[in-house]
Amino acid sequence: MKRLIIWSIIATGISSVATQLITIREFLTQFHGNEITISLVLFAWLMVNAIGSLLAKPIRRGSITLYCILILLIAIWSLPQLILIRLVRDFIFIHGVSPGFYRIFYYIILTIAPYCLMVGFVLPFSLKVMEQVCEPVKTGTLYVLDNIGDIGGGVLFSFFLVYWLKPFKAIAISSLLLILISLLIVVKLKKYMLSGLFCILTISFYILGFSYKAELSSLEPQYGNILSYIESPYGRIVITSEYPQHTFWESGVPFYSDANIVNSEEKVHYPLCQLDRVRKVLLISGGLGETLSEIKKYNPDEVDYVELDPYMTESAIRAGVLKKDSRVSIHNMDGRRYIKTVNKKYDAIIIDLPEPDTFQINRFYTDEFFELAKVALREGGVLSFNLDYSPNYISKVRRRKLSIIYNTAKRHFKNIIIIPGMQAYFICRDGPLTANIPQRLKTLSIQTSYIEGFYSGNVTDERLKMINSVINKREGINRDFEPRAVCIMFREWFFKHGTSPNIFFFILIPGTVLYLLLIRKEEYLLFTTGMVNMSTEMLIILTFQIIHGYVYLKVGAIITAFLGGLLPGALIGTYTKDRVRDRLILLDYLIFLMLGIFLIWALFIRSSLSEPVFLIYCFIFSFFCGYQFPLSATLIGEEHSPASGCISADLLGAGMGVLLTGTLLVPYFGIMPTIIILMIIKVSSIIIFLFKREGEVMPT
Amino acid sequence: MKGKGVTRKDFLKIMGMGVSGLFFIPDICSAFFFSSKRNRRNCKDITGHIFRGDAPSRLWKWSKEGAHYSSDGKLVQCHVCPNRCVLEPGDRSVCRSKVNIGGKLYSLAYGNPCAVHVDPIEKKPLYHFLPSSSIFSIATTGCNFRCLNCQNWEISQRRPEDVKFVELFPAQVVKEAKRWNTPSIAYTYSEAITYYEYMYDTSKIAHEEGLKNVLVSNGYINKTPLIKLSKYLNGANINLKSFEDRIYRCLNGGRLYPVLNTFKTLKEEGVWFEMTTLVVPTWIDDPEMIKRMCGWILKELGPDHPLHFLRFFPHYKLTRLPPTPIKTLEEFRDIAINEGIHYVYIGNVPGHKGTHTYCHNCGKILIERPGYTIGQFNLNDGKCKFCNTSIPGIWS
Repeated sequence: MKRLIIWSIIATGISSVATQLITIREFLTQFHGNEITISLVLFAWLMVNAIGSLLAKPIRRGSITLYCILILLIAIWSLPQLILIRLVRDFIFIHGVSPGFYRIFYYIILTIAPYCLMVGFVLPFSLKVMEQVCEPVKTGTLYVLDNIGDIGGGVLFSFFLVYWLKPFKAIAISSLLLILISLLIVVKLKKYMLSGLFCILTISFYILGFSYKAELSSLEPQYGNILSYIESPYGRIVITSEYPQHTFWESGVPFYSDANIVNSEEKVHYPLCQLDRVRKVLLISGGLGETLSEIKKYNPDEVDYVELDPYMTESAIRAGVLKKDSRVSIHNMDGRRYIKTVNKKYDAIIIDLPEPDTFQINRFYTDEFFELAKVALREGGVLSFNLDYSPNYISKVRRRKLSIIYNTAKRHFKNIIIIPGMQAYFICRDGPLTANIPQRLKTLSIQTSYIEGFYSGNVTDERLKMINSVINKREGINRDFEPRAVCIMFREWFFKHGTSPNIFFFILIPGTVLYLLLIRKEEYLLFTTGMVNMSTEMLIILTFQIIHGYVYLKVGAIITAFLGGLLPGALIGTYTKDRVRDRLILLDYLIFLMLGIFLIWALFIRSSLSEPVFLIYCFIFSFFCGYQFPLSATLIGEEHSPASGCISADLLGAGMGVLLTGTLLVPYFGIMPTIIILMIIKVSSIIIFLFKREGEVMPT
Repeated sequence: MKGKGVTRKDFLKIMGMGVSGLFFIPDICSAFFFSSKRNRRNCKDITGHIFRGDAPSRLWKWSKEGAHYSSDGKLVQCHVCPNRCVLEPGDRSVCRSKVNIGGKLYSLAYGNPCAVHVDPIEKKPLYHFLPSSSIFSIATTGCNFRCLNCQNWEISQRRPEDVKFVELFPAQVVKEAKRWNTPSIAYTYSEAITYYEYMYDTSKIAHEEGLKNVLVSNGYINKTPLIKLSKYLNGANINLKSFEDRIYRCLNGGRLYPVLNTFKTLKEEGVWFEMTTLVVPTWIDDPEMIKRMCGWILKELGPDHPLHFLRFFPHYKLTRLPPTPIKTLEEFRDIAINEGIHYVYIGNVPGHKGTHTYCHNCGKILIERPGYTIGQFNLNDGKCKFCNTSIPGIWS
């Protein structure tokens, strides 16, 4: 029985991590995938898990039958949970609406609560069950087992399932081991009625899990008539048909629909007509539909179209909204990585990306990016990009956004004009620029439908003057490591929904303080370690993307290195018996030192680190963090049942780390101050331990 | 077991049927998911609320006592729009423009427009009103609706004190319009009804100075203030956002019937108006509803008032819907024409033939609109050049 329970802990880790990844991806397609939403989903997930762990604390005796039911429920509930997330949306929100901060938070909590509470609860509960039926393992060993499962689930989903299976099937596969173990336990317990019920539930689960029809129809309330549906590593691509119109949805948002000539003409002709001859054009994203045919009106020799997701371009070709052409080369890679590595010089670079509301997209609106773009442009070449604004009135927050981006681009280009079209188009060049687009098009004998007829009525001199006059030269610069634009985008998002995160933080901060006052010092140490570990993981991913570009497999490798480091650390920690307190303090010093190394690197070295160095750093960092967990549990003493408290402290710390780093520290202060704040947090746990009186030390 | 109940054979049969029944789970689920597609959708009322205690402590320079309200010395009730806000001292209305200070209703949106532009008249859209002319357009903050797809949410959902504005009192507006050489003034962008007092005073002066006044609005106004305003109005474009009260409530935060009354009042008062319907996919794309809407228009307003079907693009909070398929707009245009409405246009689709004006009698092109400029213009004194049919509208 002990062996089965041990395997069930590993299998729970596999199933829960795969479900976590699938659920987070699902939420990102349900809501606007900005950094706030990403942080909020992770925070909610970790927080409810931690609450689940805390619920196991007062339980004295664990029932094996209840445990068995729980693990089966964990294995199969992930599928109804996914369906609920998709279907309940239209019952709670008005169809088609992007909800705001609080409503997203409530929705996440509502839909994940049963699952996360069970997963959080089951881990410490398994120890209590073992106490009843066999010799229990130590809390540190439990942590190791859970880590093995987590790594297994992470690797299974990120490197295999995500490529080949859609979410229903991915859940079905990742839950297989847990289901088998629960069946074996129940059979071993000779509970035949329960076995029969388990079998029926399992059969139903797999019939539903492997039904493409059910999976597709669970998406239809949100999307409508689905023609094709792909889960790529980068997100969900859905192609729908509304009469003869095709709409491409990326992560729940329509990003291309047929016959949007206004957008195509504006983004192509405003920059290209500035040039007398267009030979080479680089288009970063936005190449579907009429865009390329508008570019071809300039008869260029070469067009390089860079789109991150190969599934996107492939499905566009299949749907006929991206036509193959000998002059057009499609490059499926990160745009920033492309621009950094390409040897060509372009006459024009057209960037058609979403607003800089994630760190990943912000990399295309920074000082460092404009510097790279300038290098890729030939002398007199033109760069263009666009941002959201309102044509009739530009609010303070949008004035700030436009100003920051303008000031950043202005450091590299002598002339910039902003054309107030349907979006605010930034045209940047060292040579002359004109806003008299119809006249230029006439000179070049290029015909258009929208610009010819509507430009002079929409882009009047008065409106041109208005938008260019709102630029405040004193606003700051947007940099890779100080992403001011992300911070402004957060404000814009809250402004749009008429909400503020203040109430959330007013509740969260006293709640956290209260929690910290109630926990043991060892748990506080784990709380800070969890926080620092998760925050550093986010920072490393961000800095890696800035330097090397977004490469799915490599980002996956970083996460795996973080998870992988925890395991040997925890294993060694489990077998450490002496000088536990000293070792804990030493490990805190080492984590502090690692943060210091990161800070020095971020301040002085930056771009000269190779990819393996990143991975080694991640591994060592989390090795130290993983080492601390069993040591803390040992210090508390197994007789005090440390599992619940330690696990919840670790999870809550991680949750707080995600939230603070993603929504507050990096957007408001930048990467370097964030590292310093994390160092201060770690210092606080060192101080608490150094000043801990001898009497407070639990016997080892 | 025999005689007592279930035999082994029966048991196996039942089990077999039960297990095979499980294979219908995907179909049952699919049917359930499909049924949740439309009829189970949340359609909660998003009507705005009064902002308790949100009024400023003192009036500012850009305040004016409300035009249509009642007071018992303490409570006031605004009678401009069907929201009929009842405000205690210190409260602010749903539209955010009106406040109760000392038992009197004041508008805080007077002489402080935050958007001032000169636009082509076709942008409003008005196609039968001084074609190809420019119109001086103003707006203060505020709206009595909460449309989820508002293009001007940055001013419509703000308080007058929250935005950057210019000072333009009514006489100055008229002066500016003349300086720009525009024959008319539009009260537009946000919701003109919320700055009723400012609009009324301005339109009165403009009327006296020989300028025309155009209201671009959601039509959510009570009859008495509208009749009073109509004396100075020359044209209007009123949104008919849907023909279902339910949709008005959950997409716009308003009600349908007061809007329908506005059309009737404008008709009675002889104000030229055109109607606009934004075709929002999955909400306002039911041909039957459009048919009913056209039937009502014909019965109550007649066939001569132009109807514009506009293509929807994701905006503000309604960002998870696709743009309207052009085919849907064409279908609606056909429905409206077949029902008997003479002038039906398609908007937000550059270059579409549905943007031109065709004579309802001979079918020949009267006004060709390749954009805001005019290509062919085949009208003589408001009559078709080809068949001499009188074409409704304000042509000079």
